[in-house]
Amino acid sequence: MTRPNVDLCVTLGRIAMRNPIATASGCSGYGEELARFYDLSRLGAIVTKSITLEPREGHLPPRLIETRAGMLNAIGLANVGLDLFLREKVPALAAHNVPIIVNVAGSTRDEYLQVAAALDAEPRIAGIELNVSCPNVKEGGIEFGIDPQALRSLVEAVRKRVTRATLIVKLSPNVTDIAVTARAAVEGGAEALSLINTLRGLAVDPWTGRPLLTNVTGGLSGPAVKPVALYMVRRVWQEVAGPRGIPILGLGGVQFVEDVLEFLRAGATAVAVGTANFVDPETGPKLADGLKQALEKLGCGSPRDLVGAMDLAK
Amino acid sequence: MSDETTIPPRRLDLPVVARREAGHQFVRLSLGAPPDWVSLPGQFVNILCESDPSAVTASEGRPVESEQGEWPQATGLEISRRWPVVRRPLSISRLARDKDRVWIEVLVRAVGAGSRFIQSRPVGSLVNLVGPLGNSFSAPPSDDDRLCILVGGGCGVAPIFGLADYLAARGRRALGFFGASHSGDMPVRLLRTPQPTGDRVEATDIVGEFADAGVPTVLATDDGSAGFRGTVTQALEAWMEKSWDRRPLAFFGCGPTPMLKALGDLARRYDVPCQVSLERFMGCGIGVCLSCATKRRDAANAKGWTLRLTCREGPVVDSNDMIWS
Repeated sequence: MTRPNVDLCVTLGRIAMRNPIATASGCSGYGEELARFYDLSRLGAIVTKSITLEPREGHLPPRLIETRAGMLNAIGLANVGLDLFLREKVPALAAHNVPIIVNVAGSTRDEYLQVAAALDAEPRIAGIELNVSCPNVKEGGIEFGIDPQALRSLVEAVRKRVTRATLIVKLSPNVTDIAVTARAAVEGGAEALSLINTLRGLAVDPWTGRPLLTNVTGGLSGPAVKPVALYMVRRVWQEVAGPRGIPILGLGGVQFVEDVLEFLRAGATAVAVGTANFVDPETGPKLADGLKQALEKLGCGSPRDLVGAMDLAK
Repeated sequence: MSDETTIPPRRLDLPVVARREAGHQFVRLSLGAPPDWVSLPGQFVNILCESDPSAVTASEGRPVESEQGEWPQATGLEISRRWPVVRRPLSISRLARDKDRVWIEVLVRAVGAGSRFIQSRPVGSLVNLVGPLGNSFSAPPSDDDRLCILVGGGCGVAPIFGLADYLAARGRRALGFFGASHSGDMPVRLLRTPQPTGDRVEATDIVGEFADAGVPTVLATDDGSAGFRGTVTQALEAWMEKSWDRRPLAFFGCGPTPMLKALGDLARRYDVPCQVSLERFMGCGIGVCLSCATKRRDAANAKGWTLRLTCREGPVVDSNDMIWS
């Protein structure tokens, strides 16, 4: 088999990514931390920590624990707040020549609209990822994320304020059927979907009865959730995203090149690296390099060729 | 806390050049570092605990020579069985340099699967680490001749060894205090069999690592089986009451939280500056996971405190800045 020239470029909404590897929100800070290890332009995109209108300190520690093949976290949306983010973090990140996607969280509909509009007015920001799925704070938008009517209405309202940047909606796995919320987000005007956020979980000290996280419950991430994420990407791709041409940013346990291939085959156009950044800060660019080799081996000229490509023959 | 410059953190595969067991639960690994390695006492490395070493190689995206042929070689089932855990942060306990060669040492206590994996690495194998990370202890200014009191509790003595070397190389005077639960399980190199001294505080050269730096050491055990009977901070307090000649002091400590808190209390009582190195669970060690936050005093904040990351604004902190609750 002759090996093709692989072109890794993909597009997520109107965001041109030089490869399908992004970093996941909450797992890559504001970019500056990972920039100590590699040139961020080797990534397809960077998704920042959730930004809220006001600065947030987050929950008191302990707020992250390790579990079998995963992590349970309840950081509580700690972030510098919209003003400082626009004033300091965006200019610093913009110097790295990588598409910036900003994750937005809010406690009220109004907060979402205000933050999203301010970010849309900053031309250096390529995309806005609506976090309607944080399981860890009561203001984290989860009530929007699990109620299809509320979600559709919120996305519609945000869509009116976000005219320049690509609008992505990050879906919660903590629902009965993720295709229902995916459809609501797309009907509200989402140009891309990212999934999955963390699965709500609990860990308890068996002898004292104390929860291991101050917040009691947390969100499970890492390799432990990968099969769930793959199923949900497949479900959303088949039912909503595929037929309507909506790209999926797949995430949940992406650590190895083989994981990227699996997510593409399930229906993702691009993937985001979360927990694996903690294990190896250089995971993102390594996956991009490794994906090129893997696609050559598979005889694919583009990651697009693999999107949804599963062999279901009996 | 130090202003001295160090090198930016890197991700490196370092060979294990020596492996020594100490007590029942401690292993010291000496790792060969690149010639340009610079780290300061108090800094740490974050070591990978990988259940499937080939998985690390596969994720590098480079061909692997093996019987199965060229990468990618792992099957879907093999991948689903991989069990990675996050890295384990370990203090750099000592640093040695010889012309163009550098070695760093880590002291590992057996706690769970991750630390046991690191302990099990044989001589000649590679250990993947990210470092050097974090801030470092600050020595008193060169014109300040105060006595440096170096206090280590259990495995927490690790960065204190490197600090003793560092201070000795700069001609500072130091006195070591080392505490353990009992004589049979100590992560130090004992130069002879320790004897119990009850409530008597005695500084000797019995602890090899401190003796290397010319630092006399007071040994304490909780059960009194070796040296002073009591905690290491009780030994320090007894020394201050009975033997201290009132010359200015500076405290440096690393160990369990109750020990650091007691050391901070003692420092406040005697108005002694006190730097402590914290141990916290870390998801990443580089400031992105935000898990290692600790409460620090902050007058500018309405609450009187703010959360700061142990990995970036630590692990060394002024004990007066800590809120231990």
